Amino acid sequence: MSFNAIQIILVFVVAFIAAIDQFDFLESLYQPIVTGAVIGLILGDVTTGLVVGGTYQLMTIGNMPVGGAQPPNAVIGGIMAAVFAIASGLEVEAAVGLAVPFALIGQYMVTLLFTVMSPIMSVADKMAEKADTKGIVRLNWLAMIALGALFAVVCTIGLIGGAAAGDALTAFFDKVPWLMTGLSAAGGMMRFVGFATLLRIMLSNDLWGIYFAGFAVATVIGYVPGLGGSCLILVAFIGIAMALYDFQTRVAMKSAGVGSNGGDEDGI
Amino acid sequence: MASNQTTYKNLTPAQPLDKKTLNKMVWRSCNLQGSFNYERMQANGWLYSILPGLEKIHTDKDDLSASMQHNLEFFNTHPFLVTFVMGIVLSLEQQKADINMIRSVRVAAMGPLGGIGDAIFWFTLVPIAAGIGSNMAIQGSFAGPILFLAVFNAVQFGVRFFLMGWSYELGTKAIEVLTRNAKEFTRAASMLGVFVVGALTSNYGGTTVTLEIANGEAPIVVQNILDGVLPKMIPLFLTLLLFFLLKKKGWTPVKCIVLLLVIGILGALVGLF
Repeated sequence: MSFNAIQIILVFVVAFIAAIDQFDFLESLYQPIVTGAVIGLILGDVTTGLVVGGTYQLMTIGNMPVGGAQPPNAVIGGIMAAVFAIASGLEVEAAVGLAVPFALIGQYMVTLLFTVMSPIMSVADKMAEKADTKGIVRLNWLAMIALGALFAVVCTIGLIGGAAAGDALTAFFDKVPWLMTGLSAAGGMMRFVGFATLLRIMLSNDLWGIYFAGFAVATVIGYVPGLGGSCLILVAFIGIAMALYDFQTRVAMKSAGVGSNGGDEDGI
Repeated sequence: MASNQTTYKNLTPAQPLDKKTLNKMVWRSCNLQGSFNYERMQANGWLYSILPGLEKIHTDKDDLSASMQHNLEFFNTHPFLVTFVMGIVLSLEQQKADINMIRSVRVAAMGPLGGIGDAIFWFTLVPIAAGIGSNMAIQGSFAGPILFLAVFNAVQFGVRFFLMGWSYELGTKAIEVLTRNAKEFTRAASMLGVFVVGALTSNYGGTTVTLEIANGEAPIVVQNILDGVLPKMIPLFLTLLLFFLLKKKGWTPVKCIVLLLVIGILGALVGLF
């Protein structure tokens, strides 16, 4: 089955919007249940689109992008599974299987973009220094457009080149396995730069113990099976109790006049 | 780099933000993750989202710049609950609170919301709404995707708008008590903030090594040994190392990122990751 130019352009647009939507916009248009139906409409087989979308959706429930992890990308996966099921009349499971290489490419694209955007944050810093509000707005939109374009191109290649194109694309990455492994490892570590930057400002010398206490509490809770999801809420309960106690004690001390003749109160 | 300014030049509280500006920021918050990246995650999208408010509040250009700079630091929270943090931070900005206080409140609020939002949206709402919708779709009904979109977005935008108005009011009401004890409050909020960053180091820190040392039948798994000494040792060590490089050696964040890229790629080549 071949596609006409209008269908190709429409799929390009759908992939573009869905790619951005997975992190922004309504954060729901990208779900396979929606893209499957839309792709079905475009390619002229709504029923197959609905069935593939619904089936893929049920497969991805429980495989949500929680806590920044990147599973094989469901956006490209959903779109390409619908395309293959409609184009080649495959069973849903087979179509989903053919879509997996594309889902992997999607995951690589996200990893690449999030890596490249990290050093670009220093450009944003320069904009903030100059109070360049338009620059910040432009940067946010440019990054979104870049993500949309990357995904749209991959889906268009898949639409024109068929399933073989997916294997050709992943073949390149298979030749340099260290590249994506290295980039995802580095990507996973970059958040520590963000933490360290916050600590550089917030961590006065007398708060070191509090930092390690937070680390210890989260590590302990993280090791209890079943508590992984609620870890940070429990951490907040303990942290708030500690901070409130400190606040109340110091306010009481101040109103009682304790420390008003201390030497270290002239700081402000 | 963040400036070292800790108070705004113009300390006269700005006019309270009107409903229109607040709503505009709710819509902008949809693109919170537009420039998501591994280093500061949602930071630039966060600044993008609150800019309409900041521009109204800070008429002094130096103050606007100072505010933009500290709001570009690491930020990550749940994308649908972010308006809660926005409301509180904007009420503090409007009252020209101490920058350290604003930063501490921001960090203290963002962490726990992530867990709450995942529980509400990804573990509850999506499985229910998409589950019902999917079964309808599999039977060939176009109402499936429409029902999913309608339910999901009604909840999402209800939450976004409600949290913005509620937390802005909350912050405005609390501000008088807070500024009366500003020094004590900033300290308490810093404690909570540092505690949360400590927890994030462990909770967000997924870095592990896959290195194994050949030892006949039973290879030695390096990660198991590290976990035996102290779980999450690598995230803790890296954070402390980067803190040292940034604070004592005057490294820029970009230099740190390059270092991590080199470690990541070289590590992958020798089979460390």
